[in-house]
Amino acid sequence: MNGLKSFNWSGWLSFGLLLLLWELGARATPKLQLYFPPVSQIVAALGQALMAGPVAQHFGVTLGRFFEGYLLASVLAVTLGVVLGYIRFLHSLLETSIELLRPMPSVAIIPVAILLLGIGDSMIVAVTVYASVWPILINTIDGVRHVDPTLIDTGRTFGLTRPQILWRIIVPGAAPYIVTGLRIGLSIALILVTTAEMVAGSKGLGYFILDEERAMNSANMYGGIVLVALMGYSLNRLFLLLEARALRWRHGMMARQEA
Amino acid sequence: MRAAKINGLLFLLGLLAVWELVAQAEWVNPLIVPPLSKILRIFSELIFSGQIPLQILVSMKRAAAGYFLAAAVFIPLGVFMGLSPTVYRLFEVIVEMLRPVPPPVVIPVALLFFGLGDEMKIFVIFFSCAWPILLNTLDGVRSIDWVLLNTARTFGLPRRKIIWQVILPACAPQIATGLRVSLPIMLILVVISEMVGSTDGIGYFVLDSQRRFKVAQMYAGMLALAILGYTLNQLFNLIHRLVLPWQWGMMKRKDEG
Repeated sequence: MNGLKSFNWSGWLSFGLLLLLWELGARATPKLQLYFPPVSQIVAALGQALMAGPVAQHFGVTLGRFFEGYLLASVLAVTLGVVLGYIRFLHSLLETSIELLRPMPSVAIIPVAILLLGIGDSMIVAVTVYASVWPILINTIDGVRHVDPTLIDTGRTFGLTRPQILWRIIVPGAAPYIVTGLRIGLSIALILVTTAEMVAGSKGLGYFILDEERAMNSANMYGGIVLVALMGYSLNRLFLLLEARALRWRHGMMARQEA
Repeated sequence: MRAAKINGLLFLLGLLAVWELVAQAEWVNPLIVPPLSKILRIFSELIFSGQIPLQILVSMKRAAAGYFLAAAVFIPLGVFMGLSPTVYRLFEVIVEMLRPVPPPVVIPVALLFFGLGDEMKIFVIFFSCAWPILLNTLDGVRSIDWVLLNTARTFGLPRRKIIWQVILPACAPQIATGLRVSLPIMLILVVISEMVGSTDGIGYFVLDSQRRFKVAQMYAGMLALAILGYTLNQLFNLIHRLVLPWQWGMMKRKDEG
């Protein structure tokens, strides 16, 4: 978190100790092995399952659904958010409906989606879209409304057309908010994909993890969890990387202000 | 402002009227989209027969247990991690390793350990509320004005008193943020865990209604969930205003300004 980050020896040491304790404890008490299979066994199971293929396939399916749902939600929500943020009348029309739908926990939509779309890819993607739309939409609307009106007036004075104002002033101005929404949406999308796979799926990591638990293959179950965590972590990293690229101008500006 | 509210309400009423008409005319499969009037009728029946309130009560007991447990463990941990760099470094890697795990994935682990009982849901909620509470508390403690701490030390306040009278009030706003962010997460996770492994609770109720093709009942359950989510948020605001009146006033002023 701080700028000069040295390697955190004590942190890795305590993490390693925890794993070691797990490994030794599990080996010493075979009774516990159903709950805590030795770490080495989890790693071995993960390696084996990856080699054998099905897990890699589940991983691919989950990743594919995630991207489909998340990208669709991003495009929809940013577009709608910009429109609603910009055109006050439309916003006033939809505001009450949005406020009514928002407090409902998004997973409650899963049964409706099953009813409408059956239990397949499209249901899982639809649920993911529905859930991750909200944070992106709300943040985009907020961002558009927080654009400095002076900027917009300046643009008008210089004779920019409405689309130009939208693209060159409002969207960049709202970008930091939009990015925040997109980041929240990312973790929500991952939550919804795995949940939907658990509730009604026959493929994907969510299904795999739950299925391995039911089959009492706890080593495989933990292996699946490690994979999902890795996926979440890498997606987050990728996002931060892209964000740093896309908003380079902003980081530069902030650095200049600090200096 | 007022005109905007009226617009929104009119639009919503129009939307609902269209729903009712379309469903009455059976332009869409009535099995999937029952008329609104039917949903509302069944909703009120289920409310007055006590069925929905009972399910909500069951769910909320689990939710509250997990939520408060998470607060009781992770607020202190956040304070200690924020105060002591050693403690922070000790836990940093473990936290960073566990944080990217999407909470629903923990459900199978909890099933393995606790079976289908309440403990399973409580654990899942505990785990998923942990991170927002921990990270916000940590942030709060780290952004405390050091002059405050040094002043307290200069006056010879014992460590206990510093924590209770200086640190906790100073980072209360961030702790409140963490608790607020966790609130919808708690609701989502109680619903998910009841959908995946339970025989009661509002999450089970909604999914079960769908499986039995009692569609109006399913929508009634969703309506109850929306109302519940809204009520919880309002309740949180009320408590926030009572416990941290100074911060609440500041927030309102900022919103208006």
